[in-house]
Amino acid sequence: MKSSAESKTRPVITLSNLTVTKGGQIICQTNDATVARGSTVGITGPNGSGKSTLMRVLAGLETDYLGSCDIAFPLSDRVFVHQSPYLFDGTVLANVEYGLRAKAVSKPARRQLAQLWMKRFSIEHLAGRSVSSLSGGERRRTALARACVLEPELLLLDEPLADLDAAGADCVLAALHELSESTILISSPTPLAKELAPQLILLGQ
Amino acid sequence: MIREGFQEALKLLLRLDEAVIDAATRSLWVSIVAVVFASALGIAIGLLLARKSFAGRSVIVVLFRVGMSIPTVLIGLLCYGLLSRRGALGEFELLYTTWAIVLGEFFLAVPIVVTLTHGAISRLDRRVFETARTLGAGAVQRSMTYLREARLAIMLAVLTAFSRCFTELGIAMMVGGNITGRTRTLTTATALETARGEFASGVAMSLILLTIALFVTLVMALLSRGTEEADL
Repeated sequence: MKSSAESKTRPVITLSNLTVTKGGQIICQTNDATVARGSTVGITGPNGSGKSTLMRVLAGLETDYLGSCDIAFPLSDRVFVHQSPYLFDGTVLANVEYGLRAKAVSKPARRQLAQLWMKRFSIEHLAGRSVSSLSGGERRRTALARACVLEPELLLLDEPLADLDAAGADCVLAALHELSESTILISSPTPLAKELAPQLILLGQ
Repeated sequence: MIREGFQEALKLLLRLDEAVIDAATRSLWVSIVAVVFASALGIAIGLLLARKSFAGRSVIVVLFRVGMSIPTVLIGLLCYGLLSRRGALGEFELLYTTWAIVLGEFFLAVPIVVTLTHGAISRLDRRVFETARTLGAGAVQRSMTYLREARLAIMLAVLTAFSRCFTELGIAMMVGGNITGRTRTLTTATALETARGEFASGVAMSLILLTIALFVTLVMALLSRGTEEADL
């Protein structure tokens, strides 16, 4: 039987010569890389380097690729937030509670968790607002709260700081710090701060 | 002659002529019941065709599209065959009852609801499906999400089916038999009254048909505008 220390250091994501092609063109290619459990990793590269595609592969939304991509978590423990997130028609609260309802969390617990994460993302005052009336930054934070409230094993965030001002970005980064157990992958066109994402996967090199 | 017909029609409507009201009520009842059943089945099939991949799916989609343009007299003929004494459903003795018209209009409405629901769900943003999936929604929650996101277009499908059922003549004539007080609808009554030379009565029936059809069209136009705005 393996010790818990050993299982903690064992990589939870192992990429090896991963290549995705569309219409005969390579749209994403990575070198070999591993990601440890509970770490935060940045995926950087210029526009068109395949950051979103890699995120989609890791989320299980893109299954047509060459090479290998071993992920220790089942699909139900991976949550992906699109570069331009989609919010379901309804209120901010209904959106934040969406995944909790899927997991059959009781209504009081659901409400409590939703309120906690809305507070962390500074959107608690928007709870009853229709998503159609939100600004770009508010939409982004709602989508992030909806994903973080599930506290998934693997959280995949495609350019989560886009549309956010400095205060909004700080708020998101502080909220992400609360997910100490999750493995978080963040894509960004520019390198992320070392303290946020000590490990980097570079694309388009 | 047309002006006289309109004047007479207004008189009939203002004094709530029993025959006119009876036919109008029956037309509404038959169309609503047929469309309710057709929507329950058609929305489920449309959703399934839009989201599940299986062999022959595109053939089924095309067949439903073709089904939208089947003439009502042909549907009436098929229903007549089903409901006649020696037909598969003959033992239920439904021929020349309102339920026979409901059955025919059900067959008329199902392809419309299926085709338009399929289109509405297929046109949804890819992120709707991916977001629901990545947030762990099960099959039922995902389906409800898709229907909710496409609800305006689906309501449009239901209203289109209602509009078609409410104004059709062939089915009601062939399997309803246009029996006074039992199976007479606005369209069969209009045809009969005009054939008998009772032009005013025919125009009165047509006016009610037109008013309800216009109301439905207005609602459809408003919904269409809503879906266009939602797409932006």
